[in-house]
Amino acid sequence: MSASRDIVESGPARIGTRAAPARPRFAWLNSSKGLGLVLIMPALLLVIAFFLAPVILTGVFAFTNMSTATGITGGAYQISPGALRVLTDRYGMGELAERLGQPTYVVDEQGLAALAEMEIDQDIIDGLKRRLGETFSSRRDFERVIRDLPTRPNTRTVKRISDAFSRSLANARFASAGALMSAAEAIDPELTDDEKAALREATYTGWSWTTDNFRRLITSPQTMRILFNTIFFVAATLLIFNTGFAMLLAIATHYIPDRPAGIFRIIWFLPRISPAVIYVLLWKWLAWDTGFLSAFLDNFGIRPRNWMLDSAFNAWVFVILINGFVGASMGMLIFASAIKAIPQSLFHAASVDGAYRWQQIRHIILPHLKWPILFVTCYQTLSLLTSIEQTLLSTDGGPGGATEIWSLAIYHTALNNYAGNLQYGYGAAMALVLVVIGIVLSLLYLRLFNYRALIIKPRIEH
Amino acid sequence: MTKHLLKSTVAAVMLVSSAGLASTEEVKISVWSGGTSPNDIYRVDAIDIAADLLEREAAVRGEDLQITVEKKPTNTWDDFKQAVTLAAEAGNAPNILVTGHEDIAPWAQAGLIVPIEDYVNLDAWPINDIYENLLEISSYGGVLYGLPQDAEARPFFFWKDYMRQIGYLDADIDALPDKVQSGEYTLANVLEDAKKMVDQGLVQQGYGFYPRPNNGPDYWQFYKSFGGVMEEDGKLVLDKAAMQKFYQFFVDAVNAGVTRKNHIGTPNDQWWAEVASGKAGIWHGGTWHYARYVNQEGLKDFFGSVAFSLIPAGDGGEPNTLTHPLVYLLTSGHDERATAIAADLVKIASEPRINALHAVKSAHLGITKQESNIDIYADDRWTREATERLLPYANAMPNNADFGTYWNAMWSGLEASWTGQKTPEQAVNDLEAELKNGLGEAIVIR
Repeated sequence: MSASRDIVESGPARIGTRAAPARPRFAWLNSSKGLGLVLIMPALLLVIAFFLAPVILTGVFAFTNMSTATGITGGAYQISPGALRVLTDRYGMGELAERLGQPTYVVDEQGLAALAEMEIDQDIIDGLKRRLGETFSSRRDFERVIRDLPTRPNTRTVKRISDAFSRSLANARFASAGALMSAAEAIDPELTDDEKAALREATYTGWSWTTDNFRRLITSPQTMRILFNTIFFVAATLLIFNTGFAMLLAIATHYIPDRPAGIFRIIWFLPRISPAVIYVLLWKWLAWDTGFLSAFLDNFGIRPRNWMLDSAFNAWVFVILINGFVGASMGMLIFASAIKAIPQSLFHAASVDGAYRWQQIRHIILPHLKWPILFVTCYQTLSLLTSIEQTLLSTDGGPGGATEIWSLAIYHTALNNYAGNLQYGYGAAMALVLVVIGIVLSLLYLRLFNYRALIIKPRIEH
Repeated sequence: MTKHLLKSTVAAVMLVSSAGLASTEEVKISVWSGGTSPNDIYRVDAIDIAADLLEREAAVRGEDLQITVEKKPTNTWDDFKQAVTLAAEAGNAPNILVTGHEDIAPWAQAGLIVPIEDYVNLDAWPINDIYENLLEISSYGGVLYGLPQDAEARPFFFWKDYMRQIGYLDADIDALPDKVQSGEYTLANVLEDAKKMVDQGLVQQGYGFYPRPNNGPDYWQFYKSFGGVMEEDGKLVLDKAAMQKFYQFFVDAVNAGVTRKNHIGTPNDQWWAEVASGKAGIWHGGTWHYARYVNQEGLKDFFGSVAFSLIPAGDGGEPNTLTHPLVYLLTSGHDERATAIAADLVKIASEPRINALHAVKSAHLGITKQESNIDIYADDRWTREATERLLPYANAMPNNADFGTYWNAMWSGLEASWTGQKTPEQAVNDLEAELKNGLGEAIVIR
């Protein structure tokens, strides 16, 4: 930045008052650093919005107990049955819970005064006065009494009247702890400080900070299983397809004429360019017990079955095939273009020296592909770690959780709950683990392949 | 006379013009419903009908009320619950939700819904005619949150032809529902009969007992059949012995070759088509599946082909069935007037005559006592028989904010033992560890 400041200071003298401020303000653009910053800005903003922000949010969520029930934006204080249970079990304040949580309607002076303030018809107030001291344990019963008064109020008014006599906090919701305390004190003026603190704690519906997610993750028997599944899935798909098979395709197409090679590559591209849903649907048609495979094998006396979910082994074969066919095309493309970039003279020279194809591959092609292999391995590890859609659509982690991989488990935890209570916090903790694994692996790869040696330092702008 | 005429004309003109001047109140009410297939469309259409009635009521009172109902039925549950929770978090929740009663607890805690009892007269028609137990299921902590939208039960089905071929006489088949109810015919008999069907080649291997192919409330019935309890005094309960017997039952079914090991994950469409065409011997489902079998799957003679009963008892439990009423819920964050109108719409939509349309079209059971006096409901053999045979024995899942965690864990345990990934004992131990870990003091383990 010092360079740009110099330019500003040594810039030409002002010509006109209007034009003058414009020049110094944008002069820093004259420096390549400043201009570079501007040019990179759109990308930077996207990175912040779509990468950094989600990662930071995941990090924050991971240390909370957020769920649908707690909400994300914040909580309130509610005397719910769950809160009352906590009050009873954790704090041993069963009696207080009973007093606050049991719906109670008492016809008392306080309520009658409130009615007068609300400008309720005097006849109604007089009618209720006659029942002074009576207690009702359900709103319905009490409202029945109100409606039986000689002047029957409309429903809206009945609700307002019964509210005025409510002497419990059953399911009542307060925006702040202060409001809760004053309401609780109205019912029981002799609340001790301990009771207040317990009440505040037990009734809070929002999320709170906790490291419990990680404790739960470490002690859960599921975790190891899912972790092992994930490692197996990534390693197998990566080795067999994303690099192994991709390399095979690239080398094979290198040695066949251009036109058929092009067609061949396009065919292998189909899985990547077809929409995931349709692509997986085709696999399902192939594999299901009413599908192509079963129908075909039926001719040979093999009983139709759901080949995809028949056993854990089958499920893995399909999951790896489905993901691998998508992944192979990218490696193929990168390896093929890298092979193309190898000077032809090397191959000619090798042929003259009598090298076999295998020797060409071993001594010419593979050494030149170090950087592409690093890139593909790195990129595909991360993309497989987070890949979810093909597995979700095909086995959904089945049979019996055999193909439940980490990303899918995150989805099942954070965004899928039959009883409407999505576990955002626990899901985020799982996601954070994935982020950490991803970063550690990237660093490891960079070190392993000696990244520094692979890049040439720019010869200008030191 | 002329003077009088003039006077009355002026009066009439003034009245008309003042009526014209009375401002029109326009209200938009949105209603989203989950698990709603074309057969269940009255879940949202009932609100439309109610809107028409409410507009007329307002007109009679001299008010001009215009209600626009925006309906959004969703066929599945996952998508619906995601949509609702995320929309609510963003402040875009619809006015009315139609969802399972088990959502009341977490959504009430989240402040996403408001109690309907704050808006409607619980003693007014038709709320005073709704079955008391359904109202209880729609309540949380003694406060009525929603109105039940439908009721159902989940029966066991037997393909009559195969029952005959393994030795049942017609009279035996007719007596079967009673035998199930008395506990004489148990889940052990189910496995025996299913095995006979497979052994005699009546059905293919794995098609003797052909249960629901994916997660659902149905599986709690089997836990119950073996004596399991879901909740006691507001606390969730894991009965390890019952859970293990329940897992073991499905493992036994797989080992006996009457249920497919890879059954879970079979698409619903395939399942419905197969059971409705006699590919399976014994299965279980929901009362509303009747509509599917008869309307979409072409099972013309249902009563001639299929017998139905409660879920038979297992060792240590009782025959039972599960009702999983959907409820109309009101969401928070709208202005009071709109929520009050939404509450009125829900109330009117619960009118027996309107609810009967849904009950019969979708083969659900009615929510009000008077529905039995409405011809379209009473004339329908299925709703009548199913109501009598099943509804009195129906349990419901608890309204408990932590139930979802329990449910997910229960299902993964079942899946793991069913597919042979774990033994039932191992699965129950893992389930226990998982629940202790995740729910702590909120669950009693015994």
